[in-house]
Amino acid sequence: MSISMIGQVALKPKDYKSEVPVVWCPGCGHYGILNGIYRALSEAGIDPSRLMSISGIGCSSRAPYFINSYKMHTLHGRAGAVATGAQLIRPDLTTLVMGGDGDGFSIGGGHMPHLARKNVDLTYVLFDNGIYGLTKGQYSPTSRPEMTAYTTPYGGPEAPMNPLLYMLTYGATYVAQAFAGKPGVCAELIKGALEHRGFAYVNIYSQCPTFNTVDTVEFYRDLVETVPQDHDVTDLGAAISLARRTSEGCAPMGLLYKVERPTLDMQMTAIMDGVGGREDYDLNQIIDANRP
Amino acid sequence: MGKVDLVIKIAGEGGEGVISTGDFIAAACARAGQEVYTIKTFPAEIKGGYAMYQVRTSLDPVFNQGDTFDILCAFNGEAYEVNRQLLRPGVAFVYDYPDGGFEPEIPAGVHAYPIPMSRTAKEMKSYRSKNMVALGALSVLFNINEKTLLEVLVDKFKSKGTEKLNFNLDAFQKGKELAGGLVKTDPWRVADPAKPKDVIIVSGNEGVGLGAILGGLKFYSAYPITPATEIAKFVALHLPKVRGILIQAEDEIASLSQVLGASYAGARAMTATSGPGLSLMGEMLGMASMSETPVLVVDVQRGGPGTGMPTKHEQSDLFLAVFGSHGDAPRIVLAVEDVKDCIHMTVEALNLAELYQTPVILLSDGSLAFSTQTVPAPKLDTIRIVNRKRWDGQGVYQRYQMVADGISPMADPGTPGAMHMATGLEHGPTGAPNYVPGNHEAMHRKRFGKLQSVADFVKPTEVDGEEWADVGIIAWGSTIGVVREAVTRLQADGVKVKGFYPKLMWPMPVAQYESFAKTCGKILVPEVNFQGQLSHFIRSETSLNPIPYTICGGVPFTPIQIMNKVREII
Repeated sequence: MSISMIGQVALKPKDYKSEVPVVWCPGCGHYGILNGIYRALSEAGIDPSRLMSISGIGCSSRAPYFINSYKMHTLHGRAGAVATGAQLIRPDLTTLVMGGDGDGFSIGGGHMPHLARKNVDLTYVLFDNGIYGLTKGQYSPTSRPEMTAYTTPYGGPEAPMNPLLYMLTYGATYVAQAFAGKPGVCAELIKGALEHRGFAYVNIYSQCPTFNTVDTVEFYRDLVETVPQDHDVTDLGAAISLARRTSEGCAPMGLLYKVERPTLDMQMTAIMDGVGGREDYDLNQIIDANRP
Repeated sequence: MGKVDLVIKIAGEGGEGVISTGDFIAAACARAGQEVYTIKTFPAEIKGGYAMYQVRTSLDPVFNQGDTFDILCAFNGEAYEVNRQLLRPGVAFVYDYPDGGFEPEIPAGVHAYPIPMSRTAKEMKSYRSKNMVALGALSVLFNINEKTLLEVLVDKFKSKGTEKLNFNLDAFQKGKELAGGLVKTDPWRVADPAKPKDVIIVSGNEGVGLGAILGGLKFYSAYPITPATEIAKFVALHLPKVRGILIQAEDEIASLSQVLGASYAGARAMTATSGPGLSLMGEMLGMASMSETPVLVVDVQRGGPGTGMPTKHEQSDLFLAVFGSHGDAPRIVLAVEDVKDCIHMTVEALNLAELYQTPVILLSDGSLAFSTQTVPAPKLDTIRIVNRKRWDGQGVYQRYQMVADGISPMADPGTPGAMHMATGLEHGPTGAPNYVPGNHEAMHRKRFGKLQSVADFVKPTEVDGEEWADVGIIAWGSTIGVVREAVTRLQADGVKVKGFYPKLMWPMPVAQYESFAKTCGKILVPEVNFQGQLSHFIRSETSLNPIPYTICGGVPFTPIQIMNKVREII
């Protein structure tokens, strides 16, 4: 993590705002999340030129355009994998991945377990609106069956997945959830994620007023329930119990889980150190090892 | 070819030590100053199935596996059955007999040397000693240098303890004694030791790995796939020594994604795969083209499509390498001829990716992957490293700035004043999305235009033979080595033939093809695929009218096949 002050003056949230106009629909929850991200970056004191914002494809994957930083707008589903490569080369910078539920858990579903399992040191903010917005409203892996939409005129045929349970199971070392209607909570949890050493996953419910007619602001307000104050964030079993409550109609909001274990870049450094790796290693030794 | 140019083939069941026996012979010959070219085939099964190792050795350079073998060593009945049609007069045939479980018929003129390999191994109470018995017998029968062979065995087994070493040496000795009791009737002898050369002996896959490390690689990510996986094995061992990182990704999509991210972050980065993996990487190749991010993908081709023939040789990914993505996606495609190329062209491929900020696909193939060859030890002072153009800190930074050569400076993350977006969306010079029709066309001209100078950066295509020829042979990949020998032998017979050996497959150096064609009558294009993929590109890009010669039986061409075809069409 890079904690820095530009010219000794702390940056304000607006200083992270790029000149690119935000293109989301009026009333979209993503505005709240983006504000939470600006605040978190400011509070964590991150130098924009030492931040890599990386996304895939989808409404929320437009987010890097709106943030002052180094940034990549990659392919649908691939943000986490691209970010893994970038983070391993520059572990001294901060890596922030942003994307949606379809991008992360459907087309990108093959990569998510490995980000968590390998404990790649990055922050993944998932804008969970339970729908594909950019393609005008198809059901996603987090859509509820009640939602009738573009390809579900008779209702959804599938059960939604539980992102928190998924991430806890695969070994994420920081798991939190918020609601876009509470930008302050978003900011606090994202700041914690940015400062966490390891794979930090923040699931944020975000209303899509244009296409998702069931997951409204009112629905989310009723759904979320602040994580109890006495919850032990190092207790995986307790975190899983909280995550499972989503199926009972009340979703936890707050930090569910946070533990420390070696990150992938730390493991790589250990391997390099273990073999006495040096930038100026004598390559003739490698050539000579292949003589007959 | 020199007088002593010998091909020894060892065949048996996977797990019987066929491969290690071949490796020992190859290393012993190389230590004795000989050139070595080996090929091997593995069964697709985990254990069992037919395994084969062929060693060609000569004091002169060898360019391919040869036409056929002079010596066959059969470890079992299947090895005999598979090769019995090739037991022509003059061949020496060493086989497991008696008690080997098969009774071969010895054709007239074949020199037969029965060695009771299995029985001896059984007497030694270890099946694992069978191949050492065979090796001992071969060393006596065919003059394989004992001094270097023993050195190789000691080096191989000493780390496993004195007991194991002595056991293997005992079995080797028993094989020698068994062969010593036979009367040698054939003329085959490995050349006497020459002055050791300054060589290394590596496979094509190891060559790619070595080239990558010498070429300044800092990041490698790949997913296991035959026949490319061995590259990762080599890189994994050595890359940490230069403080580079190797990741085994969850799939090929992830591996190229990680490579793209690492490259964006400033590192020389690559992956290696085979055809099915390259197919999965297609979308990310388009992303690399569009975002102008340097990436290197090595494709060790195998028999396809589908799962195809994963352990077999084929040159059938040229179409995929050139066109495999969506939209108009520029890239550079190179192909290697031999293990020496695997080393040096991997260095050059990394350079090209960095220099042109575009995907580079380097095509190797199944026969090179596992072919070990003696190659001159690389000299570090001859290795050229070219880095990407980086921003000089002057003026306002624009990632996709329109510049004369089309190559806009890059800026590593962390650089103050150069924050930018690298994007797969069509964009203007700053990286901001831009769908204006004129912009898309201008950006395509930039991305394709910058590749116009590639043919000037790489070495011109080699022309083999100087004067007018009735037949000009255009060959690519490992087929070149076969054609080289066919051209030499045909020329010695007075046939007017010459060769043209492109390594830069795309963009095609059209002018070089045209000027070659002006010095030939007919143009023959042999390649190991069904459709004649290079012939197709020659037709579409040049005025040449090639005669395709395609085979796709899972094995490379032999020189005699090329020679016969030339005589047929001349």
